[in-house]
Amino acid sequence: MTRAAYHYSFDHEHLLSIEGLSPLDITHILDLADKYAEATRAGIQPDPVLKGKTVVNLFFENSTRTMSSFEIAARRLGADVVSMPVAASSVKKGETLIDTAMTLNAMRPDALIVRHSASGGPKLLSRKVDCAVINAGDGTHQHPTQGLLDALTIRRTKGRIEGLKVVICGDIAHSRVARSTTQTLHLMGAEVHLCAPKTLLPSGTETWGAASATTDFDKALKGADIVMMLRLQQERMDGAYLPSRREYFHFFGLTQERLALANPDATVMHPGPMNRGIEIESAIADGDRSVITEQVEMGVAVREAVLHLLAGGRA
Amino acid sequence: MSLSIYNARLLDPATGLDEIGAIFIERGKIRDISKGKTDPHADAKASLDAGGLCLSPGLVDLRVKTGEPGFEQKETLATASRSAIAGGITSFVVMPDTRPVLDDVALIRFIAERAKASAAARIYPAGALTTGLNGEAMAEIGLMAEAGAIAFTNGDIPVANASLMKRAMAYAASLGATIISRPDERALSGSGVMNGGELAGRMGLSGMPVEAEWIGAMRDTALAEATGCTLILDQVSTSRTIAIAAGARSRGAKVFTTAAAHSFFFNERDVGDYLTYCKVNPPFRDEDTRQELIAALKRGEIDAVVSAHDPQPPEEKRLPFGEAAFGAAGLETVLAALLSLVHDGPLTLLEALAPVTCRPADMLGLPQGRLAKNTPADVILFDPGKPWLCEREHLRSRSTNSPFDGRRLQGRVLRTFVAGEEVFKHESVA
Repeated sequence: MTRAAYHYSFDHEHLLSIEGLSPLDITHILDLADKYAEATRAGIQPDPVLKGKTVVNLFFENSTRTMSSFEIAARRLGADVVSMPVAASSVKKGETLIDTAMTLNAMRPDALIVRHSASGGPKLLSRKVDCAVINAGDGTHQHPTQGLLDALTIRRTKGRIEGLKVVICGDIAHSRVARSTTQTLHLMGAEVHLCAPKTLLPSGTETWGAASATTDFDKALKGADIVMMLRLQQERMDGAYLPSRREYFHFFGLTQERLALANPDATVMHPGPMNRGIEIESAIADGDRSVITEQVEMGVAVREAVLHLLAGGRA
Repeated sequence: MSLSIYNARLLDPATGLDEIGAIFIERGKIRDISKGKTDPHADAKASLDAGGLCLSPGLVDLRVKTGEPGFEQKETLATASRSAIAGGITSFVVMPDTRPVLDDVALIRFIAERAKASAAARIYPAGALTTGLNGEAMAEIGLMAEAGAIAFTNGDIPVANASLMKRAMAYAASLGATIISRPDERALSGSGVMNGGELAGRMGLSGMPVEAEWIGAMRDTALAEATGCTLILDQVSTSRTIAIAAGARSRGAKVFTTAAAHSFFFNERDVGDYLTYCKVNPPFRDEDTRQELIAALKRGEIDAVVSAHDPQPPEEKRLPFGEAAFGAAGLETVLAALLSLVHDGPLTLLEALAPVTCRPADMLGLPQGRLAKNTPADVILFDPGKPWLCEREHLRSRSTNSPFDGRRLQGRVLRTFVAGEEVFKHESVA
């Protein structure tokens, strides 16, 4: 154990963004998540570090995948979990985000996991409550546990993150995953290249830590170790941002021919849910270079680690 | 296979060449250019003594409407081509407002194939910028560009939604595609039928004010600046629009302008007694505006002059002015309209030819439009002083609604060559 690691303590109240985390913080989370992943694979029940704690899943936006992932993670650590898909309830009655937060705060939870359609929503909420807040996705801003799970999946697959060439392709403009994952991988020393049609490629991606931003997917793929495809929402392909599905697939769809431009051992990732035949060919999504299901598995492990660190005392 | 044209007044706006000389053509390309009266390639298979006539690059026209597919009664690619080569136009861009609209790869290929099969001139399709030209959804710009669409345009009615226009420009820019846009704020001009102003008021016709064009140009140039898109402002009709484009260009935007040949020749008073042949969009402006436009052309500020060929059959024109269709046949009168500016004084021959040869070719990255070695041998021989009476029954378009009908003009194309082949010879030539 190095001296630095010996004195290290995870010193964050909330997880709202990757911004503010140091490479050491991220390494710490990934190391702990790795242990949880191994424990689960070995069928070992982890220590119930969240026993007696209450974790509330507060999802203002519909999500089954992320909400279940957090729920499973919290339960594995012994927490009592309440999942509230708010989209369908009080918000409709006109209650504001802050009203909801104050109400929940009065019930004294230990952690709030929040997804909200407005960028900055969880941040606003964190100012009003006394417990840890974990951002499970806010608008087009951040999805920090996704960034961390991508980093963990890459580290386990490649044995390292530093020095890898990562290409992220898809709707960069509207993707919180792109922001969180780019920041995480950049902090961990990877070279992240973003690729999208011009209408979905915002300017200033170098401030996220991206090494380049391009509309030429074929060129971006040269020498890539990791190819991460993002979901393209159907409503972006009706002519407002992009002419059509087929034109998108023609220029940006990940096909076998295109994947051949990347390194021979390149790994394919996707945060899901996938649009098969639009951003990715089924044969690739299901192929042996895809770690898409492992990403889902690592999602639970990373969320266990994050909950442990924020709500379960020192790890 | 080889042809020498000698004793011609060689006019090449690209280099400023204006001298008696000869060109030697072999396998469709210009292989040699030489000066002097004699034939330096007497060994050529064929040689032609031009007798001192002007020899210039064939004209490149950035705006032609035909009715193919869908409105073949107006004009086909073949009839437009026949009219074009008689007017000295050897390359032209066809607009996508046909039926169906050219908004699909298959239709772009269709035009290319039909043109090859039926037309002597080189024809380049412009793809629709939005699906069905409805201004609501971006068309498949990337796929059409790969299939050979040379530029993208929304035709006569620009995209009203500025956000969509910006995205379309950003998208086109990333593909290196050029957008041709008619600067026009339709909320101001949409109901108009002639130039907005006193005359329209007196005639009881709804006007298209010049501000509509300025606002459209300001919007589109601002978006071109923001996105880096190459933008051609289509058929500008006022010098202020050109100044708007120049302003954007001075800030680094890739903005070009075109003007219709007839807009240098006519003013709003030519509408006279509700003559529907003079109903065009943009409309003929007032005399001061016309004079300013000529001055801008003289200063080289207008990048290209187009025919704005938009033939309409009689059933579309024999109507009350307000109800008649916009558009005029223009392919055969471009050169004469420009030469009128030479004969009346302000322009030199080279200044008149540059906006219809090398400049439009450069805008679209085409190799023709110049007298240069190893470029396509698309050339014309013309007599700049030859007088003629423009009579619509002698025009070669399928629809012959020309505002020049009945006008005395000077300057005629006598021979037209495309890829070194003679495709047109005027009846006066032996």
